[in-house]
Amino acid sequence: MSSASAENLYRILPLEGSLSIYSATEHMGLLLQVLAPDAEVELDLSAIDELDCAGLQLLVLAKQEAGRIGCHLRLSNHSPAVIEAFELSGLGTFFGDPILIKPASE
Amino acid sequence: MDMDEVLKTFIAESQELLLQMEDALLQLEHTPGDADTINAIFRAAHTIKGSAGLFGLDLIVAFTHIAESVLDRVRSNELQFNAELTALFLQVGDHLARLIALVDAGADLNTLEVEVQATHETLSEQLSYYLAPATAAKPVASQPTRIERGNASGLSADHWHLSLRFGPDTLRNGMDPLGLFRYLNTFGRIVSIVPLLDRLPSAAEMDPETCYLGFEIAFASDADKATIDGTFEFVREDSLIRILPPHSKSDEYLELIRTLPEEDMRLGEILMRCGTLTAAELQEVLLAQVEGQQRDEAQPIGQVLMEQSLVQAPVIAAALQKQQQIKDNRSNENSLIRVDANKLDKLIDLVGELIIAGAGARMTAKNCGHSEMLEATELLSRLVEEVRDSALPLRMVQIGATFNRFQRVVRDVSKEIGKDISLSISGGETELDKSVVERMGDPLTHLVRNAMDHGIESLQTRQANGKPAQGNVCLNACHDGGNIIIEVTDDGGGLDPQRILAKARERGLVSDSQTLTEQEIFNLIFEPGFSTADQVSNLSGRGVGMDVVKRNISALRGTIELSSTLGQGTRVRIRLPLTLAIIDGFLVNVGQAGYVIPLEQVEECIELHSDSAITRGHLELHGQMLPVVRLRELFDDDSTPPRRESVVVVQQGGLRAGLVVDQLVGEFQTVIKPLGKVFAACRVLGGFTILGDGSVALILDIPRLLTQLAAPRSAVPFETKQSYAHE
Amino acid sequence: MNELTASDPRAHANAPGQRNTAEHPRQQYLSFMLHGRCYALDGLSVREIIQYGRPTKVPMVSPCIHGVINLRGAVVPVIDLGLRFALAKTQVDRRTCIIIVEVSDTEAAQTLGILVDAVSEVLEVVPDEMNPPPAFGNPIPSAFIQAMLHQRNDFIIVLNIENALAVAEIAGQPGGNNALTA
Repeated sequence: MSSASAENLYRILPLEGSLSIYSATEHMGLLLQVLAPDAEVELDLSAIDELDCAGLQLLVLAKQEAGRIGCHLRLSNHSPAVIEAFELSGLGTFFGDPILIKPASE
Repeated sequence: MDMDEVLKTFIAESQELLLQMEDALLQLEHTPGDADTINAIFRAAHTIKGSAGLFGLDLIVAFTHIAESVLDRVRSNELQFNAELTALFLQVGDHLARLIALVDAGADLNTLEVEVQATHETLSEQLSYYLAPATAAKPVASQPTRIERGNASGLSADHWHLSLRFGPDTLRNGMDPLGLFRYLNTFGRIVSIVPLLDRLPSAAEMDPETCYLGFEIAFASDADKATIDGTFEFVREDSLIRILPPHSKSDEYLELIRTLPEEDMRLGEILMRCGTLTAAELQEVLLAQVEGQQRDEAQPIGQVLMEQSLVQAPVIAAALQKQQQIKDNRSNENSLIRVDANKLDKLIDLVGELIIAGAGARMTAKNCGHSEMLEATELLSRLVEEVRDSALPLRMVQIGATFNRFQRVVRDVSKEIGKDISLSISGGETELDKSVVERMGDPLTHLVRNAMDHGIESLQTRQANGKPAQGNVCLNACHDGGNIIIEVTDDGGGLDPQRILAKARERGLVSDSQTLTEQEIFNLIFEPGFSTADQVSNLSGRGVGMDVVKRNISALRGTIELSSTLGQGTRVRIRLPLTLAIIDGFLVNVGQAGYVIPLEQVEECIELHSDSAITRGHLELHGQMLPVVRLRELFDDDSTPPRRESVVVVQQGGLRAGLVVDQLVGEFQTVIKPLGKVFAACRVLGGFTILGDGSVALILDIPRLLTQLAAPRSAVPFETKQSYAHE
Repeated sequence: MNELTASDPRAHANAPGQRNTAEHPRQQYLSFMLHGRCYALDGLSVREIIQYGRPTKVPMVSPCIHGVINLRGAVVPVIDLGLRFALAKTQVDRRTCIIIVEVSDTEAAQTLGILVDAVSEVLEVVPDEMNPPPAFGNPIPSAFIQAMLHQRNDFIIVLNIENALAVAEIAGQPGGNNALTA
């Protein structure tokens, strides 16, 4: 993760409001667009006030997709809503330490 | 995928369930200890709790949970329903109704009004009181379970294990697994949770609204299986839900691992990570798997997890009950469906259009003189008529449900005011339009309360007058021609016309010189300003809000009248139109305009021979004087009358009159188009209709027309009744 | 069915070719003639314009209600603006039209027809051309006037349709024969 990030491709994508079933399609496009090989992308979650399972799935997808194309994706500034959803779903560790549970191989 | 709609369904269903609960509670007063009734109450509370959890309405969940626990104790005969507990649960029902109304209004349940909050706390406390002994006994209660299951192969895990694979449509159906977890946490604790992301596809195949998630959960809770099971009631259909109780046997875990879609070894590890299995136990389970391979192969892989050996005795009972309940629901669902009232309105509208179009087609066919065409349109008309006849009753509901609600009112109010009063109901099967029924609730409540507060005398007075100690209020409904009549009768003290008159004079509503009939005097009670809030006597109180009642009834184009016999009781009679969208009408012409008279109100038609009869305003018919009015004059139509006019004799509620028209056209299926706001003040029209040729005809409101015609000019004219107070 | 047709004029108003920039928001107004004077209506409230067909007279209501017509199955009241403006009864001839408008009341939208001598044209108006109504000396009650539109050296009265067709007010005006209570 240190190799390619030296390239000056560093993006911060602030997400806000509700990351849920209602906005899932829209957010999916946005998330996939921001991912690029050898880039470092930070998702700023500080302004997320609602996160449901659809939103969680999207974050997982983004993480997996990033891993597949060699993009370094980080989640930052988790808002309380995000933390609650992570805790409830047990997904927090997935983003923090992807080794704990291995995502299925693509 | 509309959350609002789902929430609306929840609200409607909860309201219905609360009504059922109330009915059942009142029923218990007659048949205490009836298991079915108690179960009905329990089910209502349980379902409300379950659904509320799905919407994250934690306050309702927590509250219903306590109530449900108390009910559970009743079901297991640890507690009995007595008057006190019934009263408490009636309040619990009221409180829940209030909370749900708040949800409906979009209020935040976390910040309740002080008063609601206080009720909430008091009731929770009172409920908990019934639970106190149970909490103490709980470890004991769970002990036998453990013993029963404490055979050699029971494993160490003392929490439930939930395996959840949510169906693809879960999110789209408005369910969020996170909401279910939050709900689980209201009656237990999620010890650990492992998400399963195996089903999540690559970005290209991902549908962001499809649910791909699965979870393995270790869940610590004292709740019974049915409760945990109930959490997943709304996702069960397309999801895979497996629930293992604490200390299940190793082959049960094996079975679980085998029936889940993921690879066995990995699942075993997940179960270990959840803390459900220890490493040694996992070893044991996997060994058992190898041993059992032969036998298992004979069994279909999808074999149901919950085999008999696996389920605890109370769980069996709960499951059986659940099954029965589901069966009951199914059979109900088969015969009843919930339909948006707007869709029905739309259908009725369309049927109306169809009738108009059909009439147009038939008229055209007639004009063409094409006999085959005419036959075809006749057939069509007959079918359309059948469609009409089956479509119209769709909106009709029995008034019984509304009446039954008053059992509660009468029960509560009689306790509150310390009078022994019973309610009798008749004619509950009488049907009328749903929208009318809905708007009758308030006026009826008012009338019933008035009858109880001021109609029924005190016990002493009743006994002194030789009347039975228990007072009676009666609600009755019946059809009368095109109208429905609803009566509220009491066997109380009745009204003294002289005192009413005196009071009306005192208030300046009637001048000293005016003489009124008894009926007119009684009707003064409905005058605004007749009575004020200061209840100096029973009599004055009697009129509180009666003007509001009258206004409500008038808004439904109904009438209200009161009759009373001093010492024997009072009867209030409400007459309402059925407000059907379509009626059988009788079409007449005056000048260029067509008028429709509801057929039920047409008594006969006669040809007018002598013009002189009209000038006197009367016509002699069958030896009686019939008041007659020329519609042409009434409606300021300046067209020339034809040489020969006709008279339509109309009657309603004992009043008769003759309407002079140009031409009798005949019977006609009339689709009522509402008058609309612009014509709100029009007092002789009941609506519009569209004739076969596309022109608009006016529907006459015969009862109002008759009342106005009958009003003697000197006395209280219908229209200006309110103004004479200032004279 | 009615809803579909109802949206037509609006769709037309937003037709791509007529998109306006944010700086010069043009609004469309329908102008018409009534008793020799030119008036205009906000295009957004106009649903359609139909030929005058013989309406059914409704007895015992406000005289400014000319009658009711059948608009594809819906019964729509037609208002005589001439009487509503206290000018004179509108005389019907072959150019007479009924403009169907939607008036939003406190609760629901009401569909009404207004009787006009002739429909003139659709005007594209920029806000600059709108002037406030004079305080007095108006030919019709000033509450009914939303603005005066200055075009081609002429002033056109832009109607405040909510006030001009205030349903509660029209419904409240008693009228007709009172033979019953005379």
